[in-house]
Amino acid sequence: MTVAAPFRVSFLSGFRAIVPLWLGVAPFAVAYAVTAKASGLSLFETQWMSLTVFAGASQFAAAGLFGQGAAPISIVVTTAVLNVRHLLYGLSLAQKVPMTLGQRLLAAQFLTDEAYGMAVSAPGLNLAFLLGAELSLYTVWNVFTLLGSLLGALVPDPEKLGVGIVFPLAFLGLLIPQLVGRVPMIVAALSGLLAWGLSRVLPGGVVVLATGVLGALAGAWLSTRRNRA
Amino acid sequence: MSVFATLLGMWAVTYAARLAGLSLGRVQLSAFWLAFLRFVPISVFAALIVPDVVGSADWPQQVLACAVAALLLWRTRSLAWGIVGGFAVYWLLRQVT
Repeated sequence: MTVAAPFRVSFLSGFRAIVPLWLGVAPFAVAYAVTAKASGLSLFETQWMSLTVFAGASQFAAAGLFGQGAAPISIVVTTAVLNVRHLLYGLSLAQKVPMTLGQRLLAAQFLTDEAYGMAVSAPGLNLAFLLGAELSLYTVWNVFTLLGSLLGALVPDPEKLGVGIVFPLAFLGLLIPQLVGRVPMIVAALSGLLAWGLSRVLPGGVVVLATGVLGALAGAWLSTRRNRA
Repeated sequence: MSVFATLLGMWAVTYAARLAGLSLGRVQLSAFWLAFLRFVPISVFAALIVPDVVGSADWPQQVLACAVAALLLWRTRSLAWGIVGGFAVYWLLRQVT
């Protein structure tokens, strides 16, 4: 019979498991803050989004959509579409970590791709480890959002510097590591073409939503069909 | 709807997805819908990249910068290198064109 590790020990090992990822997360948080500024969001709005929404890709997308003057509903729906994948992480974690309602309410606020990835593969996974990993990322994301906002205040004319390019570059950074195997590459190519075509006739938020759903349906169809064959 | 109300809406939908997953731990999704959730980020990221780059005023420079960034990301697997490299190429191209 193994003795359960004290909360503090598990929390700290979860916290430490994420530290190597700080290197990747910190510049991303700075880039988010700078682009949010370029899109006309205030320092408070930029930080508030990091504190509450706390989901990198969707924060980038929202900043871009705010900049384009997109309708609020399309920003919220795009966020929902982008973050619906957290459902999968929650489903997977809940099967490994028993949680009370209060613990679920807490753990849900800080769940991310990175915390999920680290937690799900950790040998000593428990609630404390999960929360440690989650809050490790939350800390660095919010500290560097603030630093980015303050550095961003020193940037005189974001348009002149061409910082808009950081949107597609950051999304490439999230997309490329996922392109392992044939079906993900087909889905990415199909979605890119579809989005290009749709963007000529539809507003940005709708393009992302429609492409997101249709592309994922195509991927699900291709991959489950292949498994059956 | 104000910017702040939009931010609250973003928080609500994100938190709902996270909490729903944690609360439905015993539900078994079919292979199809598990695959669907797995492909959502891929299709969404592609949809965020392509129209933005191809529809921009200086698309040749942006396409080239993204191509270099994609290559760097592929080889280094580092988000920082991809962004810095792509931005450097883009910035240099802006100086000469």
